[in-house]
Amino acid sequence: MKAFLIDVARCNGCMNCQIACKDEHCGTDWLPYAAEQPLTGQFWCKVEERVRGTVPKTRITYVPQIGGQSDALAAAAGDAAVQRDDGLMYLDPEKAKGRKDLCEFEGVYWNEELQIPQTCTGCAHLLDDGWEVPRCVDSCPTKALRFGDVAELDLEGAEQLVAGSRIWYRNLPKRFVTGCVVDFDEREVVIGADVKLVSASGNTVAEQKTDEFGDFMFDQVEPAVYQVIYQVSGKDARTYDADATQVDVNIGDVPAA
Amino acid sequence: MSRKTSDKSVIKCIGFCGFGMGANITEVDVKDGRVARIRPLHYDQLYKPEDLNYWKIEKDGHVLEPGMASCPPPLATAYKMRAYSKNRIPYPLKRVDWDPNGERNPQNRGISKYERISWDEACDIIAAEIKRIQDECGPFSIYAQSDGHGETKTVHAAHGCQTNLLALTGGFLKQARQPDSWEGWYWGAKHVWGMDPVGMQTITNNVIKDIAEHTDAVFMWGADPETTPWGWGGQMSSLISYWFTDIGVKQVYVCPDLNYGAAIHADKWIPVLPNTDVALQLAIAHVWLTEGTYEKDYVATHSVGFDKFEDYVMGRDDDGVEKTPAWAAEKCGVPDYRIKALARYWASRKVSVAHCNGGGYIRAAFSHEPARMEIYLLGMRGVGQPGVNQFQMIEWQLMDMPTWNPLPSCSVLPSVEGAYRGATMDLSEPFIPKTLIPKAITEKKLEWHGHVIAGIATVDQFIPFEWEPEEGKGVRMIWSDAPCWSNCWQGGNVFQEAMRDPELDFILVQHPWFENDTKFADIILPTNTLFETEDFNVDVRSGQWNAIAYEGRAIDPIGETRSDYEAVCAVAKALEKFGGNYENLYERYTQGRDVMGWIEKGFRESGIEDGETADFEQFKADRFKLFPTREDWEDMPHGLIGFYEDPVANPLSTPSGLIEYYSESLAQVFPDDTARGPVARWIEEPLDGHDDRLSSPRAKDYPFLLVTNHPRWRVHANHDDIPWFHEFGTGKVTGPDGYLYEPLYVNPIDAKKLGLVDGDIAALYNERGAVLGGVVVSERIMPGCVSQDHGAREDEIETGVGGLDRGGANNLICPSATTSKNCAGEVTNSYLVGVKKVDVLEMAKERPEEWGRAYDPEFGQIPDSWIVEA
Repeated sequence: MKAFLIDVARCNGCMNCQIACKDEHCGTDWLPYAAEQPLTGQFWCKVEERVRGTVPKTRITYVPQIGGQSDALAAAAGDAAVQRDDGLMYLDPEKAKGRKDLCEFEGVYWNEELQIPQTCTGCAHLLDDGWEVPRCVDSCPTKALRFGDVAELDLEGAEQLVAGSRIWYRNLPKRFVTGCVVDFDEREVVIGADVKLVSASGNTVAEQKTDEFGDFMFDQVEPAVYQVIYQVSGKDARTYDADATQVDVNIGDVPAA
Repeated sequence: MSRKTSDKSVIKCIGFCGFGMGANITEVDVKDGRVARIRPLHYDQLYKPEDLNYWKIEKDGHVLEPGMASCPPPLATAYKMRAYSKNRIPYPLKRVDWDPNGERNPQNRGISKYERISWDEACDIIAAEIKRIQDECGPFSIYAQSDGHGETKTVHAAHGCQTNLLALTGGFLKQARQPDSWEGWYWGAKHVWGMDPVGMQTITNNVIKDIAEHTDAVFMWGADPETTPWGWGGQMSSLISYWFTDIGVKQVYVCPDLNYGAAIHADKWIPVLPNTDVALQLAIAHVWLTEGTYEKDYVATHSVGFDKFEDYVMGRDDDGVEKTPAWAAEKCGVPDYRIKALARYWASRKVSVAHCNGGGYIRAAFSHEPARMEIYLLGMRGVGQPGVNQFQMIEWQLMDMPTWNPLPSCSVLPSVEGAYRGATMDLSEPFIPKTLIPKAITEKKLEWHGHVIAGIATVDQFIPFEWEPEEGKGVRMIWSDAPCWSNCWQGGNVFQEAMRDPELDFILVQHPWFENDTKFADIILPTNTLFETEDFNVDVRSGQWNAIAYEGRAIDPIGETRSDYEAVCAVAKALEKFGGNYENLYERYTQGRDVMGWIEKGFRESGIEDGETADFEQFKADRFKLFPTREDWEDMPHGLIGFYEDPVANPLSTPSGLIEYYSESLAQVFPDDTARGPVARWIEEPLDGHDDRLSSPRAKDYPFLLVTNHPRWRVHANHDDIPWFHEFGTGKVTGPDGYLYEPLYVNPIDAKKLGLVDGDIAALYNERGAVLGGVVVSERIMPGCVSQDHGAREDEIETGVGGLDRGGANNLICPSATTSKNCAGEVTNSYLVGVKKVDVLEMAKERPEEWGRAYDPEFGQIPDSWIVEA
């Protein structure tokens, strides 16, 4: 059985996967596997870009997403889905005609002209012509996208965005909480201040010392409401609220005391 | 069930450096006469790693290696859309109100429309004009605008085919292109440490290996390894950056914007206001001097003039100002405490500094100063010692320099020279610097220093030149294959006005796309793309494997297009009928070879070992050939270790052989130059035509510094019509009128002040005009400056100075002045602009014709409105 394994920490956002998918399918039909994709507007492979944090602690995380390829879509599509022996699926361009209802699934798009729903075919036409991997994977320079037998991919600990799909992830972004401790009287960053990340229930989730830039960075913490409590040697501890339920938090350059 | 998914596959090197320096080798599959797909070339179809002396650099179990497939960038993956663009020029065109035998209406260039003519008609007109101008004015009134980045073809070279023809008819007026992406290194750093002909450290063999062994951190200063390398060599720079993280090498990015490298690789991002790096650098030197944390012994033995720099930093010279972190913070926007932290971190670690060209660090006013200052700092860190070097993440082996490559060296550095039909590096006069073209056309008198082109030694900058043609013998004709001066060079609106000079009789453009300066032409010849030609090429920029390639023709020419070489051949034939000087011109131009003859010549002279006897047919069947890594690559000296260990035995190419903190040469040759004096300095005051500091009175009206990086989704002005790039948030912003506006990044703090929200359309403006952009409110950019990539396709609502460009081609409103008075470099970054929200629906009512031009919602601008039925 085949699957995709996407390492988000290795995606450089070059968009080659999204472009290669369009290069393969826009303007060219691969019937009976796939009808032609319109030149723009559909994203069978789509790279989501998340701008996180604030200046100067901004980061960007790219999450490549591959449409279709889920049990739920296959079940809903019924006869309109072709289930392959290798575990991949695609929507039959003939039998899926009129099935606009399938566009409620992530990554499935309605082709108004052809009156069909369209999504990732796993490049079944290429696999059947001897290719080992689909276009998106072949075009990925960093090997953030991999494709292969489930047994060989080592999916232990991998996660899914869509349950029951063939798409697995490593290093999906959680949240970061960061800041910089500064002694504004001395005009110096504070190195080695003790910083704790404390949960709403008062548990210390993580602790670290500020680095040579006065910075602390609690990375890949769960989305939640936190408090940042830090203490500079010889001074009173200070507390900042950090609501990381929706966004990453940079509390900024904060005073030593 | 199985279906054939391609009919044939050809190799294409889809790099965009031009100048015969190929890159981005890919496999192009063709089906039913169309390009079906563009994909990485799998080297293992012909080679096993052991055939190639496969290299690996390993640390802590993490391996950097070249791999067995190429790493093309999206600029190559998406490139078929440029061949199939709706913006292609379908057939030869003539401006409707340009009559070579009557009224030429130069004042209407950029405004009036075009009508279809045949190739024969076009070539007859062109030949007659060349003959007439050469008879009346001599050969040097025809200016060949022939250089430029873009498709990197060989026989069918996209740039310069016309120069070889004009050379055969007596010569032409040359355009000297300055090193536009590394101005500061060329004009500044060379005077500190030589490093001819570039100014960046050009002796970088094995620096990547050295970093693995000795370096704690790499500073990416104004560098974006996830953007600028794309057009030049693919994505190895990305793999190196990830590997640095894997092996614990910290990456510190110093730049005003969170560039695409910083966004994913930065351990620290130090936002610095555009073109204020000098203040930051001086403060770092101040910390090291006051705390005694620099390599004093090295400075004593490896440099001259350090005391003068020290006096300047400490305020002990005429300047009298101590360059403290607090002094710098006010100018550069980095808090004093962070400057100190950065300086101390640097002083306590082994740090190498990396560059990728472009950006405000090296393309702004006085760019020689930050470049010189960086070498001063590297000197204070004992550059050349293990772990301390400067290196490039792009342009490896450029200009055939095998030492300019930090990765393991290849056994052969192949060249296309034997087949190259583009412009050669001819240094003979007359020539004019590319930065001074508008002035040459309108003022007809120029003075400057040096040949200005990349690839020449430092002393060339001391040679004075002048150009003052006899009356009536200035620029009378332009033959351009690079019609993007106005959105790639500095002060584009001034250039547009120069194109209307009454003495400029004829502008000929050959180009595949109807874009930018093309619409100032009188005759347009439609040329074609690399898919439509058969050619020879190399890939020498990947950092993986040096390669030569036979590039088969993928598809038939689209419309009535011809290759640049074929177009010039057609003009040669048309000129022949005049006899005399033009007799037998076609035969002389082609040297009696057909295209395959050139390809075979290129193959045999490429640098392969057995060139004369090698099996050409086998090469064509194989389609590409790779060259193995040098056997002794690991033994080659690491970077500047030779100079570090023995500066007397291994001197730099400066007059003293050492790092020159004080340049005696500059002091002697240019005693009155206050911008590029003998010691680099911070320049706050208006000087040499520049007045772009936030402290300037101009900043009241134009309060933001504009960052205009080399674009993420273009190479300069290339690629802007690719629909798939318009679908990302970083590609284009769709306005309320459905138009695709060039993104303009604004920090939320500034956006609030300006009343801007995501998706608004805003004008960037100054005295020189205005361009529009689609607002992206973003933490990608620090407050105090805004960012819009350069090179967007022009869509002029009003041309010339004070004009308005809808496309966001911000080069139109750059300063016109050069780097400084004795440096004819360009200034295309970090200048003052105002930013205001505009209502495009209201603006459209004022100029309905311009705003209503034919527009494709996917490709953008298309030529339909510019072409009338004959």
